[in-house]
Amino acid sequence: MTIAIVKFPGTNSEKDVLRALQAIPDAEPQIVLSRQDPALLLQADGVIIPGGLSYGDYVRANAAAAIDDMRDVVREIADSGRPMLGIGNGFQILSEFKILPGSLRPNKSGRFVSKWVYLRVCENPTSFTEGLEGKIVRIPVAHSEGRYQVGKKRLEKLNNSHEVVLRYCDVDGEITSDANPNGSIENIAGVVSENGNVLGLMPHPERAVRGEAGSNDGLLILENFVRTTLDR
Amino acid sequence: MLDDREHDQLTVALGRDPTETELHIVGAMWSERRSYKSSRRWFQLFKTDGERVVLGLGGGAGLVDLGDDVILGISLESNNHPFQLNPYSGAASGVAGVISDVISHGCRPVGLMNCLRFGSPQKAKNAKNLGDAARGISDFANSVGIPMVGGELEFDQSFERNSLFNVACIGVTETDKIVRGVVSSPGDSLILFGAKTANERLVAPSKEATPTGSPLAKRVLIDTLEQLLEGRYLSGLKDLGGGGLASACAKLAAEGNLGFEILVEKVPLEEDDIQPIDILLSESQDRMLAVVTPQNLENVLGILGENNVPHAVIGEVTDDNMLTMHYYVDEIAKIPVVLLVSGFPEPERREEYLPERTASTAWLMEPKDHSKVLLSLLQSVNISSREWLYSQFDQHIQGNTLVDAGENAGVLELPKGKRVAFTAACNSTWCLLDPFIGAANSAALALRNIVSMGAEPILIADCLNLGNPERPEPYAQFVETARGIGEFSHHFDIPVVTGNVSPYNEAEVEGAVSRINPTPQIIMAGALGQGRLPLRRNLCTPWANVFLVGETHRELNGTEFQRFQLGAVEGIPPGYQPEVEKKTMNAVLSAIEKGLVRSCNNIGRGGLGVALLKMVIRGDYGFRLDISDVPGTAKTQSDILYSESSARYIVEVTETKQPEFLETMNQHAVPVCELGLTMAEPKASFGSFVIDREDAQKSYEKGLRRYMKK
Repeated sequence: MTIAIVKFPGTNSEKDVLRALQAIPDAEPQIVLSRQDPALLLQADGVIIPGGLSYGDYVRANAAAAIDDMRDVVREIADSGRPMLGIGNGFQILSEFKILPGSLRPNKSGRFVSKWVYLRVCENPTSFTEGLEGKIVRIPVAHSEGRYQVGKKRLEKLNNSHEVVLRYCDVDGEITSDANPNGSIENIAGVVSENGNVLGLMPHPERAVRGEAGSNDGLLILENFVRTTLDR
Repeated sequence: MLDDREHDQLTVALGRDPTETELHIVGAMWSERRSYKSSRRWFQLFKTDGERVVLGLGGGAGLVDLGDDVILGISLESNNHPFQLNPYSGAASGVAGVISDVISHGCRPVGLMNCLRFGSPQKAKNAKNLGDAARGISDFANSVGIPMVGGELEFDQSFERNSLFNVACIGVTETDKIVRGVVSSPGDSLILFGAKTANERLVAPSKEATPTGSPLAKRVLIDTLEQLLEGRYLSGLKDLGGGGLASACAKLAAEGNLGFEILVEKVPLEEDDIQPIDILLSESQDRMLAVVTPQNLENVLGILGENNVPHAVIGEVTDDNMLTMHYYVDEIAKIPVVLLVSGFPEPERREEYLPERTASTAWLMEPKDHSKVLLSLLQSVNISSREWLYSQFDQHIQGNTLVDAGENAGVLELPKGKRVAFTAACNSTWCLLDPFIGAANSAALALRNIVSMGAEPILIADCLNLGNPERPEPYAQFVETARGIGEFSHHFDIPVVTGNVSPYNEAEVEGAVSRINPTPQIIMAGALGQGRLPLRRNLCTPWANVFLVGETHRELNGTEFQRFQLGAVEGIPPGYQPEVEKKTMNAVLSAIEKGLVRSCNNIGRGGLGVALLKMVIRGDYGFRLDISDVPGTAKTQSDILYSESSARYIVEVTETKQPEFLETMNQHAVPVCELGLTMAEPKASFGSFVIDREDAQKSYEKGLRRYMKK
């Protein structure tokens, strides 16, 4: 097995991710159910945690335990240096696990937001954004808890060590408050871990994989993920 | 509960006095909501058959063949009364219920649509209700993971006391995964699975008790069902909706021409002390009843077990065509299935002549400043942008969305490249003034929405929302709307594949009846040719020609312009013109098919002026037009700009394609006139006045938003 897509009860984007990866040569993605042996995940070369219920919804549904059971395994994968991607509420889970810094709070509007957004990719190279450095990409968001928050000191460090990978921007690449769909601090949409192998992002790259459906910019990020996984 | 006549009929049919349990079950089954006893006699007016129809009107969902073994399922439900009491939970439970309708036919849910109606959002209470409804839909649909494809939002004073919530679910499946009817023999097991049953019987809906279920449970149910269907393990399946287990048993047994024997004490319960009748009529969400043969039993129980889905074998299939209910040692009910589903005496209903309307436009004053009027119309609550609402619904999950909500129709790409456009339309103002014309013309509006995307209409789903059918006036309104949809479906040869009737949407306020406008909600789907991309309404190129297709008549009664100028609507609404509408549709579809059209919009609420501005608002280009003279009887600027005549489209055609386009219109004998040219500058120039895109955009965007919090 090459790439594991983790499905918790309440995950709802696993098939979208699967379908998007299946279109990438040599990806060999597979859905792994959270109730299966967590060790199965350790056999994967790369791991994706797709979107689904927000963490708050899990707590309200008394289902947060299903996620917490995975904490140690996910931590081990992150530490091992294997590529891992948390999309939407998958990003939220990675931040709840303290694998990525900061937290994702309810949107500033108090409402769910679903729309196409523009994102500016950081200049600094990461394995996930090869070929996209400094570019503006278009990918949809859909979340109720996507407002990225992080302490002042940590934010400074994030900026200094180029761990902010994506920021919400307008069509011209300007980082404006109008372009910020959820009130995230400094328009942050995605961050990478210190050692660079874990990316969390609120936008859904798996929903931007075909030009006729709006954009295929998300595919480029997923292709990078697959390539990094295969390169290991 | 049963009236005297019904009680007598039941006693005669049983040959004895009914038991208490039987009275409750029959009362539920023979209610208007379950039996359609006042309305179903009129369904014969609808065209229901068609080449593509796999399962037509009468099932919980309609199934339509898109070709290449792709089957489209659609269900349209109302949840008006719970919604009026509590918009949040009423919306969420409505979404939960309609998803069940579609998955119980073996479909994977791929889209949702919601149609909302409220009193004016200027009143804080109505705005709050809309906000709550949006949250209810959003919390449920987004979590389950089904994209919102579109819908409708209409405001009218008549919905003040009875707000409406209609919701549709779209699904897909393959021929051999369809669950339809029951193929079963005596001894097969009946398995109840999904959520546990709680004490959630709806005697009279209360604010607290609308069963909503949880999105998590629904997600697990959908995934488990997919596994069961993949293995072809189910010989019959029914979701538990209104009327609960009793109704699901009766319908499933009727479909299979079988009898069922149920052990009520076997039903998995959420709480201990629920009375058997409450178990039978509980409307807890997320439950399914399946018929399973002995050879599949082990597999089914295995799959349910490994997914942690509560389940139990609650009875078995018999050959006596009776529904028999046991509670431990007692037999608490034994009723012939056919008596339950169709044994009620048809109630007498009376129609009344509806008021005559006038064609007079004496109210009209020719406005001095049309740009002001147009901006006001763009900002009016029934025309302005719905983005505030639709941005709260996940539109892109599942990755099949080609066109987001906000265009004339949303478009999904289904398996094997089947692209289908979906739209919702109902102008309840027209329907109030003339229910027949209003219903038929609402369907025609839906048709134009579909056609302007370049798709060919393939099905209608309808939901007839009306007042109390026991009163002659609302009953007459109902019959007229049914007649309107019926005639339309035959004229255009488009089958009505699923439908719903929601009666009793009226309230007594200080002795006077406050009744909704008759609201025959139409949902229509249309298929795009293989490999074809949908058109949109944004102008695409500078220096292209803008054509008006169709005739504009002096039809200003019942329009948004009349509401704007008069503060009310009156008179005869714009006419229904089936022959002209069909000719125009064919002409436009033919031009699109030949690749002659760059962008297209149809003309609906607000008329030509609003339709033209909508082509500019979100695009990069503007236009320079001369609208002093157009085909038809419209002569004044007001006639031309604001008439809501049917059978009209605006089409953008590039210079080189012009001759072929005009020839195509000619071949179909459809009147067409060139209004002018598109231009690079984003301005809407109507000749005698000009509107900047910025201004139009501002009015359009703030129309609804200004009333909503934040």
